[in-house]
Amino acid sequence: MKPSAIRPIALVLSRELIITVLLLLGVSFVVFIILFASPGDPFSVLLEGQLSTAEVRAGVREVMGVPRSWTTQYLSWLAGMLTGNFGTSIRMGLPVLPEVLRVGFNTLILTIGSLIITLLIAVPIALYSAVRGTDKISWPLTMFSYVISALPVFWLGYIVIYFFTHKLGLFPLAFGFSSAGQPYRWLYQLLPIFVLGVGNGTISEVIRFLRQEMGRVMAEDYIRTARAKGASVWKHSFKEGLLIPVTEIVASKIPFILGGAVIVEQVFNWPGMGRMAWQAAQDRDYPVIMGIAILAAVLVRMGSLFQSVVYVIVNPRASKE
Amino acid sequence: MKHYSQIPGEISEFSDQPFWKKADAVDLAYVGYGLLIVTLVVVSYLLGSFSLLPRDPQEIDLGLMMARPGTAGHLLGTDFMGRDMLSRLIVGIQAYFLPGLLAIFIALFLGAVLGVVAGYRGGTFDTGITYFTNLVDSFPRLVLILLVVAAFKPDIYYIMLVVGFTNLPVVTSLIKGKIQFLKQKNFIEADVALGVPTSTIILKHILWHNCRSLLIIQATLGMAEAILMETSLSYLGFGVQEPTPSWGNMVQSGANYFMQGKFWPSTAPALAILFTILGFHLLGDGLNNILEGKRNT
Repeated sequence: MKPSAIRPIALVLSRELIITVLLLLGVSFVVFIILFASPGDPFSVLLEGQLSTAEVRAGVREVMGVPRSWTTQYLSWLAGMLTGNFGTSIRMGLPVLPEVLRVGFNTLILTIGSLIITLLIAVPIALYSAVRGTDKISWPLTMFSYVISALPVFWLGYIVIYFFTHKLGLFPLAFGFSSAGQPYRWLYQLLPIFVLGVGNGTISEVIRFLRQEMGRVMAEDYIRTARAKGASVWKHSFKEGLLIPVTEIVASKIPFILGGAVIVEQVFNWPGMGRMAWQAAQDRDYPVIMGIAILAAVLVRMGSLFQSVVYVIVNPRASKE
Repeated sequence: MKHYSQIPGEISEFSDQPFWKKADAVDLAYVGYGLLIVTLVVVSYLLGSFSLLPRDPQEIDLGLMMARPGTAGHLLGTDFMGRDMLSRLIVGIQAYFLPGLLAIFIALFLGAVLGVVAGYRGGTFDTGITYFTNLVDSFPRLVLILLVVAAFKPDIYYIMLVVGFTNLPVVTSLIKGKIQFLKQKNFIEADVALGVPTSTIILKHILWHNCRSLLIIQATLGMAEAILMETSLSYLGFGVQEPTPSWGNMVQSGANYFMQGKFWPSTAPALAILFTILGFHLLGDGLNNILEGKRNT
C-alpha cells in the first residue's frame, strides 16, 4: 500500500483506539458499580456458615485483599486486570482469566460461525430484493426472514436436536461437545452454529438494512454512469453497497449474537463463555461474571474498531471527519 | 455504527392525504396483523388479571397429561401435568406485560431526554451523551442482565430496567438525528426567530410533531425486545419460576417431553412467542414504512 493510503488508516486507528480504551474503562467502571451496589458481597456466600464472628470474617477479607474504600477497591481491581489478573473464581477456585479464555475460544467459533451463516442467508435475499424490488420471489423470502427472526432460538435448538437424534439417528441424545472419537462429532458441533446463525433474531433487520443501503447505492449517479458506459455495476457498487453495510451491521449485531450464544450454549451444552456466565450468575460468582462482561465488551469494541478501519480503507476522507 | 441508524424521512405531516391511502398494501397487512396481536395480548392480559380464564391454570389433572389441542374442555390441550394450556398461555402474559411497559417507558423517556439534549444543545453535551450510548452499546444485553441477576436477584423488574437502558441508545440516536435534520432545514432557527419558547419548540414542535411516529415505532419494537428477553430469561431459569407460568419456562419445562416425541407442551408456548414477536416486529416495520416513508422498493 502507498504511504498516502496508510496515513488516514493510522489516523483513524489511533483515534478509535483511544475511544475504545475510554469506553472499556467506562465498561469496567459500570461493571464494578453494579456489583459494588449489590446487597451483600460474594464473600458472604463463601464465608456463610463457616466462620462465626464478624472479626474473623473481616480478617478473611483482609487476607483476600479486599481493601476498605470503593475507590481503592476499584483501582486495585483495575490494576489487577491490566496485569492479567482477573481474580479467582469463588466456585472453581481457579484464576478467572485462563478459564474464561479457554471457553471464550469456543464462543468465538460459535459467534463467528453463526455470523457467517446469518450473512449467507441475508445477503442473497437483500441483494435480490434490492435489485429486483418486491416480487413473487422476494416477498416470500422477506416474510420467511421475519418468521425466523421471531423464532425462539431455544425451541429451534430442540427441533434440530430432535431431528438429528431421532429422525436421522446420527448421535445419541446424551451426546456432548467433547465426545471424542464419535463419527458425527463435527456435525454436532456445527449444529449450534447453524441454529444461532438462523435463530439469533437479527436476520430480518440485517436484510432490511442491507437492502436499504444497496438500494440507495444503486440509485447513485456513479452507478448510472458505470452502467451507461458498460462497466461492471457490481464492481462499482461492491464497496459502498455491500462491504461497508455488511461490516457495519456485523459490528452492531455482535452484542446480540453474543447474547444469543448464552442460550444456544445452554441448549447444546456447548462449553463456552455464555454457559460459564449462566453458571456464574447462578452461583453469584462475581469474579467470573465480571471477567466475562469485560471480555464480551472487548469483543464488541473490537468489532466496532474493525468496522471503522474497513470504512476508512474504503473511504479515506473519513479520517478528516 | 456511524451511519447505521437513520436517514430522516421528509416531513410528511403536511400532505393532505391520510396515510392509509398512500400506504403500500403490504404495509397495511403488516400493521393489521400487528394490531390484531396487540389486541389479543391486551385482552388476554386483562382476562388474566381478572382471572377470567377457561380453567384454573394450576389445576393438575394427571389423568389427562399432554392432551392434544381440541380435547374436550381444553381448547389448546394440556401440558405435562395435565394443566390447561390455554389458561397457562393467557396467564403467561402477566410475566412480561407490565415489566415490558416499564422497559419501554425507560427507553422512550430517557432516550427522548438524552436525544433532545444531544441534538438541541450539541457540543460537549452531544459528546458526553454519545459516549454514554456507546458505553451502553458495548455490553451484550444478556451478559449485562446476567451480571445484574448475579448482583441483585433474578427479579423481572430489574431485568426490564436493564432492557430499557439497553434500548435507550437507539431512541437517543434517532431523536438526535431528527433534530439535526430539522436544524438543517432551518426549522428550529425559524422558531427561535419567531420567539417561540424553548419548551414549546422541544415538546410540541420537535417531539410531538416530528418524533411522534418514531416513538410509537420504537415502543412497538421495544415490546418485542421485552418479550424476547423475558422468555429467554425465564427459559434460562432466571425469570418467572414454576409453577407460575411464563412462556419461557413453559418451553423449558416441556423440553424433556419434546425429546420423547411429545412436542405440544413446549411447542404451544414457543408458537405463542413466535406469533407475538412477529406481530410486534411487523407492526413496527409496517408503521415505519408508512409513517416515516422508509419503504424504498
